[in-house]
Amino acid sequence: MDELLQALAQGLLIGSTYGLLALGMGLIYSVSGIVNFSHGDFVSLGMYLCFALFGALALDPYVSLAVTLPVMLIVGALIYRFLIQPVAEAHALMVVQLTLGVALALQNGILMVFGGQPHRVPSVVEAKLVMLGNVVMRMPHVVAFVASLALATALFVVLRSTDIGRAIRAVHQNARAAALMGVDVNRVKVMTFAVGIGLLAIAAALLAPGTPLMPSMGLRYTVITLLALVLGGMTNFLGIMVAGLVIGVSEALGMIYLSDTLGMILPYAVFVLIVLFRPEGILGQSRS
Amino acid sequence: MNPEFHRILRSPALWIGLVAVASLPFFLPNYYLHIATLTLVYVALASAWNIVGGIAGQLSLAHSLFVGAGGLLASALLLKLGVNLWVGALVAAAVSAALGAAIAWLDFRFRLGHLTFALITLAFAEMAEIIVIGWEFLGGASGLFLPKDTGQFSQMQFGGVQGSFWIMLTLAAAAILANLIVLNAPLGYYLRSIRDNENAAQAIGVGLLGNKIKAMVISGVLTSLVGTAYARYLTFADPYLLASPVLTIEIVLFATVGGLGRAFGPALGALLLVPLGEVLRGKLGGVLPGLHYFLYGATVIAVIMLTPRGLLPLIQDLFSGKRRAPSSGAPAKSH
Repeated sequence: MDELLQALAQGLLIGSTYGLLALGMGLIYSVSGIVNFSHGDFVSLGMYLCFALFGALALDPYVSLAVTLPVMLIVGALIYRFLIQPVAEAHALMVVQLTLGVALALQNGILMVFGGQPHRVPSVVEAKLVMLGNVVMRMPHVVAFVASLALATALFVVLRSTDIGRAIRAVHQNARAAALMGVDVNRVKVMTFAVGIGLLAIAAALLAPGTPLMPSMGLRYTVITLLALVLGGMTNFLGIMVAGLVIGVSEALGMIYLSDTLGMILPYAVFVLIVLFRPEGILGQSRS
Repeated sequence: MNPEFHRILRSPALWIGLVAVASLPFFLPNYYLHIATLTLVYVALASAWNIVGGIAGQLSLAHSLFVGAGGLLASALLLKLGVNLWVGALVAAAVSAALGAAIAWLDFRFRLGHLTFALITLAFAEMAEIIVIGWEFLGGASGLFLPKDTGQFSQMQFGGVQGSFWIMLTLAAAAILANLIVLNAPLGYYLRSIRDNENAAQAIGVGLLGNKIKAMVISGVLTSLVGTAYARYLTFADPYLLASPVLTIEIVLFATVGGLGRAFGPALGALLLVPLGEVLRGKLGGVLPGLHYFLYGATVIAVIMLTPRGLLPLIQDLFSGKRRAPSSGAPAKSH
């Protein structure tokens, strides 16, 4: 029983960050209709930025956010404006190949700068544990959980009740109509892409303590993000957050109750089954 | 069969080029011959992928399953059960055909659409890598070492880099020929109609399931055979190379750079990028690991930005533009 609770707690804590990763992608997809296959490599970029700042100034990853967040926001805006936008308008599917190219370039740019050996970014909270009954939780995971939920809530509030949030939802519903209503659609698209990548700077700071950094880890994060995104129904933000939790929990349960290999493929298996039998996502309305 | 097919096969340039390439082992030093052989591996892989990814427009990211089956399954059958590698190659090709048909069926049955298809095949590729690395029979994480190549043809040994070069040339030529045949046969027209608009294709009577399965099976079998020959050439079946989704990403990028959906496009992409990448890796691999991949990524970004149809159509336009400039008004070729 303790084992089960432990796995559930672990899964929920990690899953909340997966949800945050996917929320960034979902925001971008719902506004621009593009899927970014280099998403995970931006997470890895964020984590390596934390590592560089730790190496240079001994900054805690949470503190280095003050630098990494603006950097990633700007990088996101530039990438969208100068790489994706010109292509997305002409050849929507080409964006897949384009972002795969970005992924390969980013991953190996990181490899060239930081080398292939694993790095670590320590944090002051890293070794602390939180006890809840018999369940032991690592402090960085708890921080990640709280921060992810807070951010997701903030995002919902922004989307619901601010002008920019309304503009984003308007473009999401009908870009043409939004344009006719005076919404600057291109500006909204650039901004959501920047915010989507900016969220990754935060996710990277949350994931960094205790995670060994490898240049090749980006692809894994991309795939996990895609799993949560599709599971959540692509544009249903609440669904995406829940899907992140589902992925996290199935990963944790698989690790404990199944062999290594089977445990690792469990989230993928869950994904394939849900996509095939509930293509509208776990919280989606059935298409009648 | 479209007369264009016979025109291409009768073109002297093609045969002169083929003979010239085939005579490379007589004067290229071994190091460069090795690079040439690797280039042919990727020419073959990218051309085989093109049947599904280019002509049929199904952006499959699961082709590492086929390379992995060809490389690892055939090697495991030889090492663990003593099955002759030729037989193993055929068994692996049959397994790949079955996997390919299954993926095509899923795509058809659940109407995945282009984007979801790319996502779900990437998930398959990740799953396959995890399974391969956890499965002792396929060599697990440490891979499988094949016996030394002593040149016994009956054991699928080709006597070092020279023989391997010719085998890879054969496979690459076969993959390009398969592209030419598909493009000029009814199947190619069906696949292109599916690529452009699945619903419209179905409405005019193009069978989705049958054609998708055909494309996937042809592509999967070719890819698997290349996988076996590649593992045999390296004498080491490395799961992190052969079963890795990164391999598929490379293939997709080569095909995109050269020109999707053209018979010679993916080959051109691999011909340009692989030798460049390998030479860079040889010269700077110690100082800047990953430089060649970085370059592949940067190249594909540049090509998509500047000439999204790929380099082959661009080159064709340049040449035909020069040739046809005086008698302008010739109808533009449509493919």
